[in-house]
Parts: sequence; C-alpha cells; structure tokens
Amino acid sequence: MGRTFRNLFVAGTVVLWLVPVYLLVVNALTPVASYTGNASWTSHGFALWDNLSTAWTKAGIGHSFLQSLMYAVVCGGAAVLIAAMAAFAVVVLPLPKPAFWFWLIYSGTLFPLQMFLAPLFGMYADGNLYDTRLGLMLVYVAYAVPFAFFLVRNQMTTMPPEVTEAAMLDGASFWRIFWRIHIPLMASSLGAAFIFQFTAVWNDLLFGITLSRSPDVQPVMATLSNLNNAYASSGPPVILAGALIVSVPTLVVFLTFRGLFLRGVAATAR
Amino acid sequence: MSSAVRAGAAATPVKPGRARLRIPTRTPHQAAAEAGSGRLGGRLAGVPWALPAVLFVGVLLVYPFFRSVYGSFFDDNGFTSHYVGLDNYTRLIDDPIFGRSLLNTVLWVAGTLLLPVLVGLAIAVATHRMRRGRIAQLVVVLPYAISGAATAVLWKFILTSDGTLNQVLRAVGLDSLARPWLLEWPASTISMIVASTWQATGLNVVLFAIGLRAIPRDTVEAAELDGATGWRMFRHITLPQLRSMSVVVVGMAVVNSLKAFDMVWILTQGGPARSSETLALTMYREAFLLFHVGYGSAIALVLSVIVVACSWLYLRRQMPGTSPR
Repeated sequence: MGRTFRNLFVAGTVVLWLVPVYLLVVNALTPVASYTGNASWTSHGFALWDNLSTAWTKAGIGHSFLQSLMYAVVCGGAAVLIAAMAAFAVVVLPLPKPAFWFWLIYSGTLFPLQMFLAPLFGMYADGNLYDTRLGLMLVYVAYAVPFAFFLVRNQMTTMPPEVTEAAMLDGASFWRIFWRIHIPLMASSLGAAFIFQFTAVWNDLLFGITLSRSPDVQPVMATLSNLNNAYASSGPPVILAGALIVSVPTLVVFLTFRGLFLRGVAATAR
Repeated sequence: MSSAVRAGAAATPVKPGRARLRIPTRTPHQAAAEAGSGRLGGRLAGVPWALPAVLFVGVLLVYPFFRSVYGSFFDDNGFTSHYVGLDNYTRLIDDPIFGRSLLNTVLWVAGTLLLPVLVGLAIAVATHRMRRGRIAQLVVVLPYAISGAATAVLWKFILTSDGTLNQVLRAVGLDSLARPWLLEWPASTISMIVASTWQATGLNVVLFAIGLRAIPRDTVEAAELDGATGWRMFRHITLPQLRSMSVVVVGMAVVNSLKAFDMVWILTQGGPARSSETLALTMYREAFLLFHVGYGSAIALVLSVIVVACSWLYLRRQMPGTSPR
C-alpha cells in the first residue's frame, strides 16, 4: 500500500515538473508566423533554429549573453579567490577578534539587495561608474564574496590545524601554505562556491536594471526582461527561445559539475 | 596582493621542537599566537588577507547600507533633499500599498519557506532507495538551473488569462476554477509562489538526498529491529538525522525568498494596481520609478530589519562558534 502510494506520488511529481519544461520547448519550436496567440500543446512546425537566431541576434540576447558570461566567470572567480583569502585569514592566520571579521564580511548576505541600491546608484553616478561594465563587475564581486566566504570558511574550520602547523614547521610562508595546502584541500567547497556565485551573477536582474541602461553593458537577464515587456512585437516563441538560451550556461555548469557541487555542499553542511 | 606576499615572506620559520610537545587540540589561531607572534608576522598577519574582502563588502555593501539608513530620514526626489525626520516612516503606516506589500512579503517568505522545503523533503524521502529514483530527482532539479527571469517568462505563458493552465482547467470541465490568475489578488501572489516552488524545490531535494545517504545504515537497521516503520521511523530517525542539512536548506530558503523580485517584476510588475508588490518591488518602484528615494530607503530598511532579525535569530542558534560573544 505504502509502496504504491509512493510510486504514484513520485510519478505525479515528475509529470507536474515536466509539463512546464515541455511547454517551454514546444512553444519555442513554433514558427512565429503560425503562432495562434494562445499557448499550444503541440508544435505547429519546426522553427527552433529560426527562433533561437532571432532571439540571439535581433533581440540582442547574444550580445548580452557573452557579456553576462564574462561577468559571471570573472566575478565568480574573483569573488571565490577573495573569499578564500578572507577565510584563510579568519580561520588559520592570527587575527584579533575573528568573529568580528566573520560577521563584517558575512553581513553582506544578510541585507536585502534593495538596501544598497539607492546609495550605490548615487555613488556610481558621482564616480562615473553608472552604466559601465567595471561598475557592474565591482558590485557583482562584492555581492558574491559573502556567501562564498561562508561556504569556504565552513569547510576550512573542519581542517585539522596540524596540517598548517606542519607546513609552518617546514618553513613554508603563508603564501605557500595558502596556495599549496589550503587551495587544493578546499577544492570541493571552492568549486561549489564558484558554481553558486556564477549562477548568482548570471541570474542577476536587479543590479542589471538599476545600475546600467545601455545594451552594451546590460546583463542578459535585463535584456530578457526587456524582451518580455515588448511581448507583442517579438512574439512568445522568440521570448521562450530566449529563455532557453539564457538557461543553457547554468544548466551546463550544473550538470557538468554536479558531483563537485554536491561534495562541496555536503562538506559545508557537516 | 603584494602586501600579502610580503607578510608571508616576513614570517621566519618556526623552530621545530616547541610545537611537537603539544597535544594538538587547539586551533591554528592559538597555535600561531603562542608560537611567538613576531616570527609569524605578528597578531595582525591575517589582516592583509582579509582586506580585499572587507574592502569590497565594506565599500559596496556595508557603507551603502548605512547611507541608506541615513537617507531614509530625508525627503529626497533625486535632485533636492531635505531633512524630514521620521516622516517617511509615519507615512508607511498610512500607506495602503505598503500594508499590502508587507502582507505579500510575509506570504512570500512563509510560502517559499514552507512549500519548497516540505515538498523537497517529501520527494527526497520518497525517491530515496527507489529504483530510478535518481532520474525523478534529476527531473525536479532541472528547473533549478533555469534562471529566475527565464522561469518567470515561462510561467507567464502558463498563468495568463488564455494561458495553458486555464486551457487545461476548461478541457477537464473545471471552468469555474479558471480565472485570470495574474490579475486578481491573492491568486496572483499565490500562483507566483507556486511558480517559484517549481523552480526552487530541486535544490532542496538534492540537499536532503545527500543528507539521507549520510544516515548510517546501522541506525536505520537498529530502528527497524525495534519495530519502527513508516511515520515513526521518519519522525524519530530520519528527521533528527537530517538536522544539519535542514539548517542549510532553511538558510538558503531565506535567501531565496528575497529573490522574489525577478518573478514578480516579470510576471505582474507588481500589478494590477500594485496589488501583488512585495517590499522589494515597492522599494524599487518608489526609489527608481517614482523618485521617492528617501521613502524607498525607509521601505528597504523595514525589509532589512525583518530579514536581519530572522537570519540573526536563526544563525545564532544554528552556527556555534561564530557568535560575537
């Protein structure tokens, strides 16, 4: 009895979860010309490549796609490195009041983004950073550091101090200890932190629409959102094709590094 | 970076012998401090390493936070500003939009805490040690990789008045249930919470699945010998063993409930008539579309207080060793 119920529950869940994915794909296939105005359950023809290329070039998804990829890789990587250094300082190195430093850096995740926006807008306008790539990248790094720090720090505390002591006895410098011992041993949580922060930067919409305006700077989610507001002109199949495109990087990263991601999260949860 | 190199290079090697005699039960902190601070670059050796993180967070997040608190005492339209004391806050109390927005935010936090966590737990437990359970898990995880904005675009398609959900309801003869989902409150907020559950549950399933696999077999077998099955097993063995994982899941759910912005912004833009706005969206509209910057900051501060209070209460209990005391 219990087993049947369980199987039904799982089957039902799988169907419920697949229906939106199915709708996404089928309607992204439909040629814009034969789109009836209503969502359809079957595809009227096959125009996936046309829709994808319209979204990529005419709707400008392609350009901001590459921009966002750059933002996500560079900012995610920089944030993880900076966070790892800070975790090293707080956990391993002599530092007065480590708990204070922990909370100072971690506090970045506690506040909602909205709390930073108005002053950031002002600062960016004054500092000529508004609507520049550098400006967005700086704020993405700052936004990504606290949580990466939290993940890496949690794993670093589980490392036996003897490892560091042994290296110090051998005369290794902090620099060497960091790069040769901690970075390799923290690989799983560093990887998990990178995946998290890559995804966070890639998915950002709010900073994108408040701190930038021109297509040359705007990240891909802002472009997708603009495309969605112009619903009537471009046609739903193109928008859904755009949604497919912007989902590819996170999907690829997640499926490729699933093992690493899971190990990193598991190490953190311990 | 160069300063970090110098700090490292300045540390002369510790003489062997002293540390070897000790029982290794201290943190590297204490070890380093005891081993003679001069030789390790002093008790401030960690500062250059923490500095980049502190600078980024301090200049771009912490300073703007306090600037925002300060700004909430001013009537600022983006061009001129003058001090108005607590006026922005007293205005909040009479503002019906703020009341609705607060209610929506509470619904979002409660909804995104309850639904994805409970559904995720149920799916993880049901698929655990099930044949092809991994495939079912993967299907549920798939939407997690789809971004919030793309999810919203997709669900707009499902939830609009002539969208697929209403088509299905009419096809199975439930015409009376069909409604313009996004045009009526509270249906709008609830259906957006469901859409975000669709996206967020997968990660929780994965995390709970890791937790379930980590439960020692002996514990389960011992409980089975004692006659625990079904609900009793779940209640007394599975749930307590999942505790450390639940901490992570709930912690992330709090963060996720703040992401409510993307979904609402794309699906309804807070409409109709601002009825589905969350605090995050009300703040954005007031500060950036209506140029009530001071008022927007006051709203953001209310939101921050709610969030920080929740996180603080939660983290203080769940994260031993980081309490500032």
